[in-house]
Amino acid sequence: MAATSPEPSLSGLSTAQYTSSTIAYTPSTSTTQSNTFTFPTYTSYPPFYTLQPNLNIRPAQLDLWSTLITSYAAHHRLFRISLSSPPWDLFTNASIHRALKAADIRLVLDHMSKPENGARIEWIPPTTRNEQSNTCWIYWKTVGEWADAIYGWVDETGQKGAVLTVYELRESDAVSGKEWKDMDEAMLRKVLNALVKRGKAQVFGQEENAGVKFF
Amino acid sequence: MFLRQLDLTTALRPSLYDEETLLFVQDGVGLYEGKFKIPNYQNGHAYLTSHRVCYVDNEDPRKYSVAVDLKDVDRPEFYAGFMKSSAKVTLFPKATKRSAQAIRSPIPRYASPSDALVRTGSSAQRTAAASPKPAPARDINATWICPICGLSNSVPKNFDPSTANEYTTLSPCQACGIKPPLALMIKASIAAMSNRPAVTAPSTPRPSIEPSLMDGPTQPQTSKVCPRCTFHNHVWMSECELCHALLRTDEHEDVPISINNVQRPESPGPTLSGSILNDDTIETIKLSFRAGGEKAFLERLKQALVQRKWLLQSAPPVPRPAFSPTQSNFGAISTPNGQPRANTPVQRIVGIAGLERRGAELRQNNQTVIGTAFEDLEALMTSAKEVIAMAEQFAKQNGKDSAEARNILSDSASALGLITTKDMLGSGSSSETLYITELSRNLAEFLTDDRRGVLRREGGIMSLVDLWAVFNRTRNGIELISPLDFEKAAEMWDQLRLPIRLRTFKSGLRVVQERSRTDDKTIATLLTWLREPQYAFPPAEDDLMGQTFGRGVTAQQTAERFGWSVGVATEELEMAEETGSVCRDQSLDGIRFWDNHFTHAFSSPDKRPDAAQMLDELRV
Repeated sequence: MAATSPEPSLSGLSTAQYTSSTIAYTPSTSTTQSNTFTFPTYTSYPPFYTLQPNLNIRPAQLDLWSTLITSYAAHHRLFRISLSSPPWDLFTNASIHRALKAADIRLVLDHMSKPENGARIEWIPPTTRNEQSNTCWIYWKTVGEWADAIYGWVDETGQKGAVLTVYELRESDAVSGKEWKDMDEAMLRKVLNALVKRGKAQVFGQEENAGVKFF
Repeated sequence: MFLRQLDLTTALRPSLYDEETLLFVQDGVGLYEGKFKIPNYQNGHAYLTSHRVCYVDNEDPRKYSVAVDLKDVDRPEFYAGFMKSSAKVTLFPKATKRSAQAIRSPIPRYASPSDALVRTGSSAQRTAAASPKPAPARDINATWICPICGLSNSVPKNFDPSTANEYTTLSPCQACGIKPPLALMIKASIAAMSNRPAVTAPSTPRPSIEPSLMDGPTQPQTSKVCPRCTFHNHVWMSECELCHALLRTDEHEDVPISINNVQRPESPGPTLSGSILNDDTIETIKLSFRAGGEKAFLERLKQALVQRKWLLQSAPPVPRPAFSPTQSNFGAISTPNGQPRANTPVQRIVGIAGLERRGAELRQNNQTVIGTAFEDLEALMTSAKEVIAMAEQFAKQNGKDSAEARNILSDSASALGLITTKDMLGSGSSSETLYITELSRNLAEFLTDDRRGVLRREGGIMSLVDLWAVFNRTRNGIELISPLDFEKAAEMWDQLRLPIRLRTFKSGLRVVQERSRTDDKTIATLLTWLREPQYAFPPAEDDLMGQTFGRGVTAQQTAERFGWSVGVATEELEMAEETGSVCRDQSLDGIRFWDNHFTHAFSSPDKRPDAAQMLDELRV
């Protein structure tokens, strides 16, 4: 499990709009893809990085951000976004010297977490009380879709009825090409619970060596 | 005495001549001609100037505004008003040289057919159509037969049989060129006058109405019948083809008979129908003051009549001790006719001595002018003309800073007129509003004055505070306007339908701009400018972003581009942002505004509008 190592980053400079090349990109949990993500045209449009005060334009802008984040996460297989060290090139465009402010990033993620906007984001409850959460899961596939995907794979490989460990599901070679590889544990648990609810699986065992059986 | 059509300025006030000054303004005025109210001229403003008395209607100022020259006025008369009838000032015309008035039979001249007009309480019995028309000198039907060739020529208009003597110039016959004997002319004109009552088709502009009414006013005319030889001429002819008699002009056949001639049902006084302009048959003109101010008006009118400022236009220059031909230069400037003065014999001294002498004389002259002019204020006013002429001369001599001097000159020249001060208005409860309305019009004229170009210099839009400052500066220290009055006057622009409007932005900034510049137009010009790099041809090589998104501008750049002040530019950009046409981009170096691509370009990336479509959208 890749350990997150947050580094002092943009959050300290909340008004900084210029990117600093000293910030290293540290993805929270993912593998960096070799093929680069093509950024759509609107990421070079400077007003994109300023939250529009006009409430007629703002929904359009937020929708665009939502699409961008989701597709970026899907491309880079990001399962989690941390506000303390967000993906560098997602919220910044160095060539036009514009970046989305931290407060605005939070706003965008809040917007995305609403059910009517697709609920692509889920805030992870903070460890200490009365503090705002700084990390969230990003569901570029919804939980149901994940459940279907996993179950479909299990079905295809004929492992119905077999018992698999959660570790296997996440990191074994058998799932090396799969999208849920290296998924966040907690997220995977959610997916499995969804399957359980559907009656398609059963989880047993302790935390560390949990196993799951598919029906 | 004529009622002439009046030229109005953009603020719907009378446009004054060069030396004409405004003396008095009063609203709530109606016009009467003789005893009758003139329809459409019953509710307006009266402007008394040094040369004219003007009436500007309130409802339709451009159409119903007239003026009477003071030089045609013999004397004014005052009627103090009794119960329901308001105070009136009557203007009596001067007797014209054509003293045919003496010859004219004293039959009332208004041909208002009694069956068409509803009149209550009219005393005189009006005869129908065949009432004789005015001065035989105007009668163009008078002709004399040349004894040599027999051609019937018309008697010239200014020929008056009663005053003609052997020295009166007579025009020769048109065919054979021989002048007729005087007796023949006199006989012909007298015969024409006495023949006229029998003429059934009147040949004067005063609408008799009857014949056309009988035929029915809507019947289209196919030919004009000559009154003298009964030849059917074409409708558009003004002279008969055979006998050259002037044909009746038909403009008054369409005059609607106003049955509802009573605007104020309870007031006495019948009304007339017909066009009142340029009518020579007017007996008297009355101004009825329904809102007071008649006493002051009368006073000023009398003063103006005494002063006779209109004569100054063609007056010879003030006699001055003559020096030499150099005076003629100066005299030419003072008088428009440019009559050179030849008081002293011309002394021709050539060479340096001559130049020196000329310089010395000029200096002496200037000294005299300045000395007399600045002695006291009255003298300054009267010699203002000369002082300005002298200043102009100086300006011509110093070529390099002439632009500034010219500005000052034009300012001072135009500052002499068109300012309405509080003492120009009459008393009464409406004087406050009258002051505000006049101030409002002053401001509108000041703003639209092309000589100053005030609004143009500011890019067509100016904040109210700036305007107040500029306006007071031109007042030269007298009669400054308080901010409260200024604001009230500015708010009245809309009400008076003047071509300027006051606009309040969201932040409270108030600006002044032309009525025709709406928000949409401003946004359209802004967007055109923003989109320019996108559609520039050939496209700039290194400006990829410009090609895709257009231009991002700061308020400073906008202000520079359009000539606005920065505050105004910010407001305009924010207004455009509110409408969703531009969006903002905030960065460390400030706020920039971009064309709003969110709504149209990004949503459906394959559907980028092309240049023609975008330009169509912008064409407001």
